[in-house]
Parts: sequence; C-alpha cells; structure tokens
Amino acid sequence: MYIYPVFRPTRTIARNTFREAVRDRVLYNLVFFALLLIGGAIFLGELSGGQEAKVIVDLGLSATLLFGVFIAIFVGVGLVYKEIERRTLYAILSKPVGRGEFLAGKYLGLCLTLLVNVLVMGAGVSLALAYVAGGWNPLVLRIWPSILLIYLELSVITGVALLFSSFSTPALSALLTFLVFIIGHLSADLKSFAASLGGTTARWFFRGLYYLLPNFSHYSFITPAAHGYVPSFAELIMALLYAGVYVIVLLSAATLIFSRRNFK
Amino acid sequence: MKSNHKFEAMLSLLILLSFAGVVCLSRLMDARRRDIVATPSEEQLYLKGATAKRLSLAFNGLAADWYWMRSLQYVGGKVVKYQDTHPEQAQLDDLGALDLRLLPSLLRVATTLDPQFMAPYEYAAMILPTFSRDEAISLLHYGIEQNPAAWRLYQHLGYIYWQSHDYSKASETYSAGAKLPGAPRWMAEMSARTAAEGGSRRAAREMYQHLYDESNDDQVKQLLERRLMQVDSFDERDRIRRALENYAARSGRCAGSWREVASQLQTLQLRLDPVTGAPLDPSGTPYVLTKKGCDVDLDLNSRVPYR
Repeated sequence: MYIYPVFRPTRTIARNTFREAVRDRVLYNLVFFALLLIGGAIFLGELSGGQEAKVIVDLGLSATLLFGVFIAIFVGVGLVYKEIERRTLYAILSKPVGRGEFLAGKYLGLCLTLLVNVLVMGAGVSLALAYVAGGWNPLVLRIWPSILLIYLELSVITGVALLFSSFSTPALSALLTFLVFIIGHLSADLKSFAASLGGTTARWFFRGLYYLLPNFSHYSFITPAAHGYVPSFAELIMALLYAGVYVIVLLSAATLIFSRRNFK
Repeated sequence: MKSNHKFEAMLSLLILLSFAGVVCLSRLMDARRRDIVATPSEEQLYLKGATAKRLSLAFNGLAADWYWMRSLQYVGGKVVKYQDTHPEQAQLDDLGALDLRLLPSLLRVATTLDPQFMAPYEYAAMILPTFSRDEAISLLHYGIEQNPAAWRLYQHLGYIYWQSHDYSKASETYSAGAKLPGAPRWMAEMSARTAAEGGSRRAAREMYQHLYDESNDDQVKQLLERRLMQVDSFDERDRIRRALENYAARSGRCAGSWREVASQLQTLQLRLDPVTGAPLDPSGTPYVLTKKGCDVDLDLNSRVPYR
C-alpha cells in the first residue's frame, strides 16, 4: 500500500508499538480479567431478579471502560519513558524521524492496541448477552455505539497519558492521568460549581478549567445502553469530533514539550 | 540424619497444630462476624442517591445494579429470617412484619443512580405500600418525572392507589398513562373500570392479570399469580357456598362431608379431589368445610392468600 513518505515513520513506530504491546503479558492478563468479569456477569445476573441483560451490559461495558483505562494509563505512561530508559530513543531520533512523528506513532500504536482490546471485550459482552437470551437479543447490536464511545474516551485518555509522560515520571503521569479521568467525569459539577461562585475571578477560573479539561460525560453511555438506548448519529459525530480535536491538542502539546527536552 | 528426621517431624507437628489453630480461629471469627454483620445491615445508608451518582463516575448503571441486588438480598434475608422463626410463610405483598426500614432508601438510591431502571419502581409498587405507602407513591412520582413517556409507571402508581382503595386517583392515573404513546388500550379500560367498579373482583382480576403479563420479575409474577388465584378462589367459594345452601335447604341440615354434595359440586365444574371428593382450590389444595358443614374456607396449607 502506498503511504505518503511523511507518514511512513509514524506508521512504522505505530506498528512496532502495537507489536510490543501485544507481546506484553500484562495486557493479556488485563483482557483476560475483563473477560472473566464479563463471564461472571452471567452468574451475577441470576441474582438480579430478571435483570440479567442489564447487569451483563452494565458490568461488561464498565469492565471494558475500566480495564481500557488501566491499559491506556499503564501502557501509555511507559511509551516514551521506556524508550528513554532503554536508550532506544537515541537510535530512533538519529534517523530521519521527527519527535512529533515519534509521539504520533506511539499514540497510534497504543490506540490500535486498545481498539483490538475493546473489540474483544465488546464481543465478549455480546456473546454473554446472546448466551443469557438463549439466542438473539437486540442489545447484542445496540451496545456497539456505546462501545465506540468508550473507545473514543480511551483514545483521549491515551493522549493525556502520553502528554504527561512526555515530561514526567511514569508513576506521576499515571496518577495525573487517572485524576484527569475522574475530573473528566465530574466536569459537569465543575461547571455548576463555577456558576455558584460569587467572585468573578474564581468563576472564570473554574469555568476555564471546565473547558480545558476533557469532558467525559459526553462518552458516558453505558447506563442508557443497558436499557437499549442508542446515541443519535449527531451525538456520535460530535463525540468523534470532540475526541479528534482534543487529541490534536494533546499531541501538539506533547510534541511541543518533547521537542524542547534535552536528551544529552 | 537423625536430627533431620526429628526436625521434619517437629515441623509436621507444627503444621498440624497450626492448622488446628487456624480452624479454631476461623470458627471463632465466623461466630463473631455473624454478630457484626447483623448490626450494620440496619444502619442507614451512608450515601444519598445524588452523592452516590456523583461518585460512581461513568459506572452509575453498575452501582444501580448493586443497590438493586442489595435490595433483593435485603428482603430475601429478612424473609428467610422470618420463616426461620415463624411457622407461616412471609408473603411478598404483606411484609409489614419484617421491618424493612432500609428498603425505601435502597430503592431510592438505585433509581437515583439509574432513573430509567424500571425494576425497582415495579418492586416498590408491589412491596412498599404495605408498610410505606407514601414512599412508594413518592418513588413512582419520581420515576414518572424522570421517564414521562413510561406508561408502565402509571400502571404501577395506579395499582398503589387502587390497593389503598383510592379508586378515583387510580382511575386518573390510568387515564393519564393511557394517553401516552405506546400505551396499550387496556389502560383506558382499566381507568374506566376502576372508576365504575372500584374494588370489584373483575377490576382486581384485570389489574393483576395486566401486571402479571407485563412483569419480568419472577418473584413479582409469583405474587400476582397468587393474587389471581385468590380472586378465582373468591368466585369458587361463592359458588360452593350456594351449593351448600341449596343442600341445606333441601335436606334440612348442613353437609357432613363433601361426598354428600358431590353431585352439586360436579355441576359447578370444579376440580375435585379423587379420594375425598373435596373441591380443589386454584393452588390444588382441597377446600375445607367450616361451620359444621354450612360454609367453605381455604385450607391452612393452601398457597392461595387468605387476606
């Protein structure tokens, strides 16, 4: 396949990052544990008084999100750090590869890994639903737009992890990324908090923070999905655009910081 | 070599003794644990629904499931405990004696976490009215506020009003629900029926039958099945009573056994016990003759609710 030469290094780094992640046993353990949880939802559903399908979707998609976040954070924060530690970064950067291309490749490689994981976990949830229904259940298909939203959220979190890892240690980056994940789900409160404040400066500060931090409430569709609701096409497109624009901001910031770092 | 054997033997003995100690300690801890577990189960919930929703981040659906299952376990645990200490069975629609003080809060948190979750509303409509009618009505109103297009919530709210003999409000609620898109035609019929006939058996039968048809919850279905059996049993007992009265009028005395009224019972098209000839109630238990054969009643072992 012909690829514009500018994107070739990015593609190569992405492919290698994906291969490296696939070889990582921790990743398998996380996916296995998530699938185990999804399987466990079948048994848990029996305690729910006829709400098996809802429990499977809630637990299955929550596990997909949570374990996806773990993968995005713990693999994401090590992407750059590992290359510096192993000193392989010097070999890469000595070739005609820009620092931005390197980061974009790392990011895309992890996104591809996450895509495969999310697809596997989503398929697990669908299979569990079909098993409980003893055949066809409309939820088997109706959960997939919600899975797409989960994936988009994970792609933003990966970007956040990469940004922090471009200037900080893995432990601190993981902590900060996890905090962004939590704040991102509470950002609606941040907005109402800003509105409730008396002082103008404080109000502007919190309002600014609300717009600055990623708003993950746009991607929270697990609960409605468990009732068979599907986000509208417009909602999906907006969520896709939001994630895309936010990732561009994150990667640009990461590149800016990373390009100023001195590795001598 | 000898000292090695001695050491191994001592080590084996130590392992055995330690295991015995572990077993004793486990038993002691289990015994203590039971006491501890019994106390906090009645403690008020630490989290209000809104706080729980905020803290649950994107996992509010999962948290709602947890509160829902906790509600079921809470009621189930109380029922088991009651049946351990009482000879009679606890009935799901008459749990006033069980002191289910936490149930309204648990259902409230479950529905605050996931307002579209219909099962807790249905459960609330079936169980709460016997000991906390206002809570049940409040929860259903909250559900309607959150799900204005859900006609089933109107059905449940109407049922609560109907149960408390507030037939005009029950009729109004059914009528409001009947206007919603997707509401079945029988909602309007139920509105008319409750307004015109209130607590009639026909209204009751239709009420229970529609609730039964719409429910996915096995426990609720069982409860409604028993209520339907009760309504059928009322009709059957009326017919048997008339047969007993006719017999008494003809023979000048009440029936000494079911065999004496066998021919009359056969004309009523009731199921009869092949051995005693006693008519069987809808749960398959033979009815009993009371008031020296002048009246009929349910057997104490019958699954048909007495009240």
